[in-house]
Amino acid sequence: MYPIVLLSFFGIVTLFLGFSKSKNILLPATLLFLIIALAGNFLEWNKGPLLYFYDMLRVDNVTLAFNGIILLSAFMIFAISGGFQDNPDSEPAEYFGLMLFSLVGALMMVGFQHLIMLFIGVEILSVAMYVLTGSNKRNLRSNEAALKYFLMGAFATGFMLFGITLLYGATGSFKLEQIQGFASNMQVGSESYILYAGLLLLLIGMLFKVSAAPFHFWTPDVYEGAPTIFTTFMSTVVKTAGFAALFRLLSGSFTGVYGFWWIVIAAIAVLTLLVGNIGATSQNSFKRMLAYSGISHAGYLLIALTALSKPSQNAIIFYSLAYSLSTICAFGVLMLVSKEKTIGGQPNEYYDAFNGLAKQNPLLAFVLTVSMLSLAGIPLTAGFWGKFFIFTSAAERGIIWITVIAVLMSTVGIYYYFRVIISSYLKEGDLVKIRVAPFYKVILVLATFLTILFGLAPGIFEGLI
Amino acid sequence: MNNTYLPSDYLPILVQFFLAAAFIGGTMIVTHMIGPSRKSKLKDDPFECGIESVGDARTPISVKYFLVAILFVLFDVEVIFMYPWAVNFKELGMFGFLEMLLFMALLLSGFYYVIRKGVLNWEE
Amino acid sequence: MIPNPNIPEVSIPSVIQNIPLQHYLILSTLLFVIGIIGVLTRRNAIIIFMSVELMLNAANLLLIAFSSYRSDPSGQVFVFFIMAVAAAEVAVGLAIIVMIYRNTRNTDIGFLNKLKW
Repeated sequence: MYPIVLLSFFGIVTLFLGFSKSKNILLPATLLFLIIALAGNFLEWNKGPLLYFYDMLRVDNVTLAFNGIILLSAFMIFAISGGFQDNPDSEPAEYFGLMLFSLVGALMMVGFQHLIMLFIGVEILSVAMYVLTGSNKRNLRSNEAALKYFLMGAFATGFMLFGITLLYGATGSFKLEQIQGFASNMQVGSESYILYAGLLLLLIGMLFKVSAAPFHFWTPDVYEGAPTIFTTFMSTVVKTAGFAALFRLLSGSFTGVYGFWWIVIAAIAVLTLLVGNIGATSQNSFKRMLAYSGISHAGYLLIALTALSKPSQNAIIFYSLAYSLSTICAFGVLMLVSKEKTIGGQPNEYYDAFNGLAKQNPLLAFVLTVSMLSLAGIPLTAGFWGKFFIFTSAAERGIIWITVIAVLMSTVGIYYYFRVIISSYLKEGDLVKIRVAPFYKVILVLATFLTILFGLAPGIFEGLI
Repeated sequence: MNNTYLPSDYLPILVQFFLAAAFIGGTMIVTHMIGPSRKSKLKDDPFECGIESVGDARTPISVKYFLVAILFVLFDVEVIFMYPWAVNFKELGMFGFLEMLLFMALLLSGFYYVIRKGVLNWEE
Repeated sequence: MIPNPNIPEVSIPSVIQNIPLQHYLILSTLLFVIGIIGVLTRRNAIIIFMSVELMLNAANLLLIAFSSYRSDPSGQVFVFFIMAVAAAEVAVGLAIIVMIYRNTRNTDIGFLNKLKW
């Protein structure tokens, strides 16, 4: 609860800090705010389930773990943004303020116990992201991405709202516990059909937001068009919050009708895996490939939701963490490399931008390699254990066929993740030594270190929750 | 207070509605019949000030109007949260009052931000 | 926590209940479907946006109907939140559309025709 209140306040403070003369205090100030929020988050660790705001928000260790992942990812992203100093047109105070507000929305989505809280959380997060996607005002690609994201996001919100309305009509409450109570003892009748329809519509809305197929079509365009730093934010914070919300919704309210929805989610998971992995193989742009890879990782996370067995909870948390760390590394390196050469005024985000990276920049090449290995799920990285836990959770429920498909698809993943490694190590290129700010380097190394640490000893993490 | 209304109780509203419609329709018909009407090109001009009108009426409007209109929509809608609060003012008591003060403070901080940004500064 | 203030029992005029709930359900679903069709078939950003608003208002109408029939004010409170959030969305959405207009100098937003969804 503390980080929600703190970050709302800090967001306003950040907006007003933008009026001060010196622009240099913004970045340290927001990083300090995030550290305070992280500390406030873990104040409630092991205090047991606490309810706030008239039982609308629940704080337990699962909430806190998701909050921790979100705030840590945000901290790293803020740090590698460098305070947006390189672009004279940028408005750092507004970007930081909006990102802090969107974090409030993400934290509300993680801990919600009441569907109003879910709706407001989703909207705070989404509306801030629409603005940030279009923040590159003069760039037509950014404009187009913002418009697509906005229209599709608003469309998804419509589905979500109608779903919530139907759930309310069937159960007479917005509270997860009461919906759970109703759904568990439901007779087949008109109310049960309304409940099913509501659940389906709500799921469609939420799956839109986490970019699961067949609701993924906006993702590659938006990820490609948005400024890379905000793409990183979208693919880590938004995705983690979306899956935390889906997990809480399904585990908190609809375990009673598991027989109805599991097959729907399973079908969507398989479709998402197929679309994400096969789409990624045919890309020439690294950034667009990462967008498709984000879709495929949504597919893996959906497997854990399909199973919804005991290990699912830990699997989702661990996978989100591993995915966020690797994604931040990948985008972090991309941001540095793409600035070196431009094609028609645009940063070069194609695979060939990485040609010969290892020769002059061995550290960047190493960071990139570890993150790609982790995303591909190669052993000794965190990504491997993430996939392992997810497959375990599916096996626990006895759904083996979906695991087989997922393993097949992750071998497809090796092809496109290794392309960039091959570019950076084996291909000839004329990349000069890229100057990296020390703080930037620290963040990249830290994320890489954590990826390897969790890869070597996943038990450290498992003992925590 | 009587909480049960029959459909017949709404009859006065219907009568009022018909009267309003009839008045508008009636005056329009009557003015057409009794007023003199001369048609010419000058008469059909949108403006009749002795100066020939230039250009199209659909010119782009300054973006400042857009900003002010959007800000109006934003701040206008927030008022709906005050209606339920005002209705339950006595029951909510001091706690409700403080909460509303907090809400207004947050809203006004946004307003102050808008002013500092110079959005409402008409003459630049 | 602060104790929940006593919310007086809300009574609904019986004349509202003369209309069966199913009628509200059918009307709202129709509006919602019209909104979806509008989003999927139209190619003008503003009209797509209007269709989305229609979807939101269909949900609002149904929430009010359910809320009245259950004598439960929480549905109406949700409508307030939806209205406030929709206003914020309108502000951001129109700002994005204006931004695109400034860059492409096109009233008709023919820009959208080039996009492949």
